[in-house]
Amino acid sequence: MSFLVRQIALKASGGEIVRAKRVDGDEMKIGRDGSCGVHLQDLAVDPEHALVTQLDETHIEIESLHGQPFEVDGQAVQRKELDVTHGNELRFGNHRIVLGQDPRSRFPTFTVRRHTPLSHSSADNDMTDVYNLKGLLPGKRMSAWAFAAAVLVAFLAFPIWSYASYNDLALKKDASRPEGYHADKSWESGKLSLAHQSLENDCQACHVEPFVAVRDNACQTCHTQVHDHIKDTGRLITARGEPTGFGAFTRAVATTFNKPAGRCVECHTEHEGAGDMAPTAQKFCTDCHADMKSRLTDTQLPDAGDFGTAHPQLRPTVIADTRNAARPALRQITWSADVKEMNGLKFTHAQHLSTTNGVAQMVRRRADEFGGQDGLDCENCHQTDPSGVWFKPVVMEDACQTCHSLTFDKIGGTFRTLRHGEPEMVVADLRGFFAAGGPPRPINLDSMSRRVPGDRAAAGTASDYARAVRFYPTQAGQAIQMLFNRGGACFDCHNITRTGTATTAGYNVQNVVQTQRYYHKGWFTHAKHTRFECVDCHVKAENTNDATDLLVPGLDGKGGCRDCHVGESGAKLASSKVKQPVESGCAMCHDYHLDEKAPWLTRLPASRRASYDRRRNAGQPSAR
Amino acid sequence: MATLPHTPDKGDFETAATSRKSTSTRAPSPAPRVRRDKVTSHESFLTYGNGRWWKIAIGVAVVSFASYFLIDVQPRHNGGSWYGYTMGTIGFGLILWLTLLGVRKRAMTPGRWSLKAWTSAHVYLGLSLIVVGTLHTGFQLGWNVHTLAWALMMLVILSGLFGIYVYATLPKSLSANRFDEEGAITEKVMIEQVRQLDRQIHDAAQPLDPEAAAIIERSLEENVFAGSFLQRIRNRYPSDRTRAAVVELRQLRNFRPRLDDDPFERVETLLTKKEALLAKLRRHLQLKSWLQAWLYLHVPATFALIAALSAHVFSVFFYW
Repeated sequence: MSFLVRQIALKASGGEIVRAKRVDGDEMKIGRDGSCGVHLQDLAVDPEHALVTQLDETHIEIESLHGQPFEVDGQAVQRKELDVTHGNELRFGNHRIVLGQDPRSRFPTFTVRRHTPLSHSSADNDMTDVYNLKGLLPGKRMSAWAFAAAVLVAFLAFPIWSYASYNDLALKKDASRPEGYHADKSWESGKLSLAHQSLENDCQACHVEPFVAVRDNACQTCHTQVHDHIKDTGRLITARGEPTGFGAFTRAVATTFNKPAGRCVECHTEHEGAGDMAPTAQKFCTDCHADMKSRLTDTQLPDAGDFGTAHPQLRPTVIADTRNAARPALRQITWSADVKEMNGLKFTHAQHLSTTNGVAQMVRRRADEFGGQDGLDCENCHQTDPSGVWFKPVVMEDACQTCHSLTFDKIGGTFRTLRHGEPEMVVADLRGFFAAGGPPRPINLDSMSRRVPGDRAAAGTASDYARAVRFYPTQAGQAIQMLFNRGGACFDCHNITRTGTATTAGYNVQNVVQTQRYYHKGWFTHAKHTRFECVDCHVKAENTNDATDLLVPGLDGKGGCRDCHVGESGAKLASSKVKQPVESGCAMCHDYHLDEKAPWLTRLPASRRASYDRRRNAGQPSAR
Repeated sequence: MATLPHTPDKGDFETAATSRKSTSTRAPSPAPRVRRDKVTSHESFLTYGNGRWWKIAIGVAVVSFASYFLIDVQPRHNGGSWYGYTMGTIGFGLILWLTLLGVRKRAMTPGRWSLKAWTSAHVYLGLSLIVVGTLHTGFQLGWNVHTLAWALMMLVILSGLFGIYVYATLPKSLSANRFDEEGAITEKVMIEQVRQLDRQIHDAAQPLDPEAAAIIERSLEENVFAGSFLQRIRNRYPSDRTRAAVVELRQLRNFRPRLDDDPFERVETLLTKKEALLAKLRRHLQLKSWLQAWLYLHVPATFALIAALSAHVFSVFFYW
């Protein structure tokens, strides 16, 4: 008997090569060894793997020789008896053997085929992408789409949804969104200022409509009482003038993108970080005011630019007439070195501040009261109000009377004083004083007195005394006359006229009014100038004895503001020397939304301004 | 017999092939030619046009910086000033144009607007975008979509910078690695060499006993391109089967008698050769991974950037 073995190999072109051989005998080995009848070049097969024995014409038995199994129709076995006509499939390592029977010779046939390549590398794999990272990392295209989609969902779709859910809360003062995350917060370019911190969660409070720039009505939902810079907006726009050059271009761009001019937020920029809102820079003021007359020809306001170089002379408001003490006539005048103010008082500043004259001597004599001063100081009479910004009016009783006493009588230990500010009382008191009293009785009218013999001397004395008693009350008129005329206590300080009524013996004391604030459009505070002497600025105080001389300093000259204040960027320094230059923008003294209070910039407490300086000016102190 | 000049002071090391006392009968092969000795007309995209684009990029950066410090934006620089909008628009346009390299590179043309010119401009204008984009922010950064766009931009630029670095340094190593005594080999040849070695190993291993054959079989069945991304870029394959097969085979051999014409020896020689080949192949894979990996960040981050940029611009106009 024999076996027919047909080995099939694949050609590179895909065709098959069949090598057939006949193995004689009843037994045949299957294995890797070259001597085997079925020679399998397969490292997974034992050199002598199995033995095939022919039982009869159609039956064979296959048995493993070394305990290494083989597969019959997918089942691993050690030994198997098979009918070759059934066409079973054997599997040894990487080879498949199909059993059969040769129709002519009736020999069992073994058709051998290798079903896997001999190595992984020789498999006909697709080698195009093995050298790149395909399959090892998520594909570029895939991840690009995924990332882009994730970003668009999280930062575009979700925020729009957030806005849309709450936009009906806009323009309602007390409406706010619930706490928690709102996706449009991811659009916030910077924190709101501290003043608007409560709106931090409510984007729609200001961003009322999509694609519409923030309008003033959003601001005015809360800010209902803001002082307009000027009532007539038309004049404001005229004063501003049409932008030219680059300004016109940016204006045109802004208009194209639906950003109208003149909105609150143009100056009051937000989302600049949690802190104070930025101050309005000088350039915004000078944009209009530097040459406003050229556009707003009928304006009363002088043009004003940088404080150091282009600010008009200061215009203090002074008293023109004190006849109505409650509402004195005021006049705004342009400051000059010889400008006068009629406050109704006579006062010799220079004489009082001297350290060498009688006034000074009097002060030195009263060391217990004046603490060993060489002469009077300003603060002996002038006291600041509690804010430190202004000075309280000088009160005669506190300031003057310690020297300028109005005492006219002493009863026991009590001094009687004329009533200051009430001329009728002064007149009445003096008349009463002379009416009630009399001249001292001459001692020689006493019965016990020793006298020369005869009545002649006594009669003369009595007659004189009787005349004195008779005429004593009429001395009141004389005293009153002395008081109100040159050399009298009233006349020394007050302007006296003869237009009074009988109650004041025909005299009239002119009203005295003291000005507390001279500059109403600009801000000045004494509190920030305490390190200077009063006379550093009020230079005339030391050399004028005319109370109508205005001692308030002006812009220039000795003691003027520009002695120190050099404008916002110190432009003045280029042309002149300033000993202690202080940079001072418009906002130091002026407010856009003018009110009677200090400008916004100076309202900041020092601690907050320090932090403000750090954040806004990178450490440079701002103008103050 | 012709011998190779041996100059140890110039870095030649004594090997069997260079030794004067060498008994090798093989003719020594010439040393691989070094690229820099050759005069080439090659001009890198980094120096294209006599450095035209880096000069332009420096110019862009200088102008941007100068204007940033000269222009007084109140209260401080931000993206919403006219300067900010200008820088933002320039940056936006630049980003879109830079992205177009992905389209442009699929169509190679020579000349002034050659792909090399584009690449050069892409690199340097991309770097100048650091200045343009950052000055656009006015250094106001926070946790928001605007800063996300900036951060993604920086991520793209920095990954690109890394890409330039590897493009400038690694190809030299890549070439050096591909040279052997036969000269440069291509990727295709490398695969062919593996196949050929596998066939030789397979044939040589036929006489081996089942235990040894199984060891060899494991090496043959190994996919030489297998390995995770991390394994590739680190070139660490701790469970490499060929290496294991060499070791196991040596252990097995220690207990066997030495024979003339020992099949073990032949197989072991072949396996060692395969091991060396794999080392070269995997070094090649490592270098190629480094050359390619940055793009897997650069490209997706670019598209994320464009998405974030769209959201950024949209949000600005939405909350105008």
